[in-house]
Amino acid sequence: MRVFVNYKTLWMLAWLVCWPPLPVRAECCAAQVKMAQLVREGPNYLLSADIDYQFSEKALAALQNGVPLFWELQIKIQQPRELLWSKTLAETSIRYRLQYHALLNMYRVKNESNGDVQNVSSLAAALDLMSTLRNFHILDNAGFAPAPATVLALKVDFDRNALPLPLRPLAYLSKQWYLSSDWTLWPLKN
Amino acid sequence: MALKKLKLSGNLSVFILSGLILLSLQLMSSATQESSQLGEMYSWLLLMNAIGSVVLLWLVGANIYTLTKQLKKREAGSRLTTRMVSLFVVLALAPAAIVFYFSMQFLHQGIDSWFNVEIDRAMEDSLELSQASLDQRMRWHLKQTQQLASTLEFSPTNLLAPEIENLRELAGASEMTLFSQPGTIIVSSSNNPSDILPSLPDEHIWIQLRQQHTDYVALSPVRDDELMIRVIVKINGQEPLYLQALYPVPVRIADLADSVEFAFVRYQEMSFLRHSLKLSFSLALSLVLLMSLLAAIWVAFISIRHIIAPVKALVKGTQAVASGRYDQQLPVTAQDDLGFLVESFNEMTQRIARASYESRMAGFEVENQRAYLETILANLTAGVISFDTVFKIRTANQAAYRIFRIQVNQCIGYTLLELAKNVVELAEPLKSMQRFLELSDDIWEQRIAFLGPNGRQELLCRGTPLFAQDGARAGAVVVFDDVTDLIQAQKNAAWGEVARRLAHEIKNPLTPIQLSAERLQHKLADKLSEADAAILKRSTITIVQQVEAMKEMVDDFSEYAKPSKKQTVAIDLPVLVQEVLALYVLKSGVKFKANYEAGGGLLVTGDPVSIRQVLHNLIKNALEAIETQGLIEINLHRVQKNDTDFIEIALYDDGPGIKDGQIEKIFEPYVTTKAKGTGLGLAIVKKIIEEHGGAIWVDTQRKVGAGFIIQLPACNV
Repeated sequence: MRVFVNYKTLWMLAWLVCWPPLPVRAECCAAQVKMAQLVREGPNYLLSADIDYQFSEKALAALQNGVPLFWELQIKIQQPRELLWSKTLAETSIRYRLQYHALLNMYRVKNESNGDVQNVSSLAAALDLMSTLRNFHILDNAGFAPAPATVLALKVDFDRNALPLPLRPLAYLSKQWYLSSDWTLWPLKN
Repeated sequence: MALKKLKLSGNLSVFILSGLILLSLQLMSSATQESSQLGEMYSWLLLMNAIGSVVLLWLVGANIYTLTKQLKKREAGSRLTTRMVSLFVVLALAPAAIVFYFSMQFLHQGIDSWFNVEIDRAMEDSLELSQASLDQRMRWHLKQTQQLASTLEFSPTNLLAPEIENLRELAGASEMTLFSQPGTIIVSSSNNPSDILPSLPDEHIWIQLRQQHTDYVALSPVRDDELMIRVIVKINGQEPLYLQALYPVPVRIADLADSVEFAFVRYQEMSFLRHSLKLSFSLALSLVLLMSLLAAIWVAFISIRHIIAPVKALVKGTQAVASGRYDQQLPVTAQDDLGFLVESFNEMTQRIARASYESRMAGFEVENQRAYLETILANLTAGVISFDTVFKIRTANQAAYRIFRIQVNQCIGYTLLELAKNVVELAEPLKSMQRFLELSDDIWEQRIAFLGPNGRQELLCRGTPLFAQDGARAGAVVVFDDVTDLIQAQKNAAWGEVARRLAHEIKNPLTPIQLSAERLQHKLADKLSEADAAILKRSTITIVQQVEAMKEMVDDFSEYAKPSKKQTVAIDLPVLVQEVLALYVLKSGVKFKANYEAGGGLLVTGDPVSIRQVLHNLIKNALEAIETQGLIEINLHRVQKNDTDFIEIALYDDGPGIKDGQIEKIFEPYVTTKAKGTGLGLAIVKKIIEEHGGAIWVDTQRKVGAGFIIQLPACNV
């Protein structure tokens, strides 16, 4: 007779009961912001960034099996303050959806912030689309006078809440699903 | 009131917590539905439920810990609570475990049943069929485009635009564009005039075209996700060109392909998520079971504690009653069977308290009565001693101790014979009393005389055997009274009366008799013959002598009858003895010897004349006994008997002594061994000594001559 209450279930239950666990970090699968640059061109501040997305075995299997994956590139311009938390001068985000189309054997990258959809034939191409950000308009300089300490903060956040419901508990507990990056700070260039 | 509020708030908190648990579980259940808005909160709900489980676990743990402590302390109701909780847990756990097991089985089997090889195969085949169908169409459009491209090879540049337009319409393409080598649009035609810019191939397509040197054909969603067949064909010429044609896929085929793809992707996703789904559902189910069980156990603890509370109170109350606190009243918290039990307990304790009070009061009454009787007994002049069945002394009143002069703790629990061994002075009366006790089955009365600490004492004893209700011998009680003084008084009164009568009846006629005899001789002496006169004279002398003797006898008797203790002063006995002996020192042939300790404080209280007479009488007796030569020895010293000090006067002579038969009666009046004695000398001595609270007896231990021992109470100045 099969034992359906397997050890994994019991282990997860015990884990949940013993909540909160330590933050699960996995350097192997986390995304990285390789470069970020905010350049003023005329009245606008334009952002250019290079991001390195990483896939764990589980995440790749999920993508190949039709599970859509979501990343959100969070962008903030912050001014550090003494004794207080940093003041956010500007904030925006870009949300990407990556999904594999079995019929076309293509990967679809959708920028959910502006609705752009691109279909590419390989995962590398799809990641290239998401990785390279050029001249993204952040804000115009009307009333914006950056202090010398003002920084550009970027973070790639993998949205685990957008995963199918059965995957979510595992995604919170397994390092295979920690695909987000940390906040990275970049100095502003005038 | 406060208790009621507390209970209400406790119940309310249980209901609220149970409601929250159910709500949380329901939300989690709803969140698992795909269409639910709560899907985004699933993880938080899972976490909240996990935290709820931890809280419940802590609550249950705290209850178990408290119960364990109570068990160790053997607190009232703890064992019953443990038993009930264990029973509840077993009863709740067994069906829950069975339901859980089968639910898990059904769940896993249900999920597994969604997937099988045939459906896998069918899904893959249908997708492959769709792809094959589209491939066929793509190949056809590629061939068509290649043919069209060949027509453009030699077309002049200025005619390309209308040519492309014609070719597009001819081929049925929705858009046709001609690119130069680097991808610059040369000419474009579209069936939709609103499309200003043609759909451009992405960089990867260009790379593929340049690297592989083959034509490109692929399905591609264009613009509004409309499925198109993109064909790019290289046109060889002086300058290589690329012709891109976008062919629409028929709506029906596109819909079918979409449908197949959706189903395939959905199935593939579900298949991929199969284990996660099982895990997720198992987790949710386990969490639900765990929370339900923990909540049930916690509520069971609260409920059982609530149920046990009256039992606990009853146990405590019973323990209190067992320890003698009968005023225990328990609060009646419910009107159920336990409430009835508590009410009955309260009624019972009230009755017990009342009965106990009455019993205590009765005890007090009995104690008072006993104390009263003891007081009466203690204040009786008569001594009262009670005995048990083996004639051991159970109680003795103060008068008994006063008469016998024995310590209380020396008496209780001893027989009279055992007492007699310890107190030699009382051996005779105690033995007599014991003898009467053992022999008599009825009330007896007996006089017992003994030489007590105050001299010769005479007791009037009355003994009564005691019987229990069943007739068995329960002991005896002896009441005795010191009648020494009474008898002495009676004797004195009798002798006084005798003396008074003698004086009146005998002494009064004696003088006329003497005078008459002397007158007869005076009157008749001259008238009678010499012989008769001589007879008369002798007779008269005899009469006169006898009358004198009778007078002397009556005087002695009067003396005997008179009270001897006329005055009471402290008498220094050595001085008195020396004074008395001084009168007899000149008696030739007799030696006197007085032994006493100088400064010994040999004082007695009494009448010095009477004590002097005692010494005179005894010395005279001794002198009469010695007759010519001898020794009279007087020893004075202090002795202690029964915690009382006595001055002992021992007078010894070396005469012939006293015959054994006379010793007992020697102190009685008219008992004498001498021809001339009146027999009152020693009687008077005894009377004086006894009137002074002393005693006199013959020292029978002395083998030479006679010896008298006098003991008089010492005067402690």
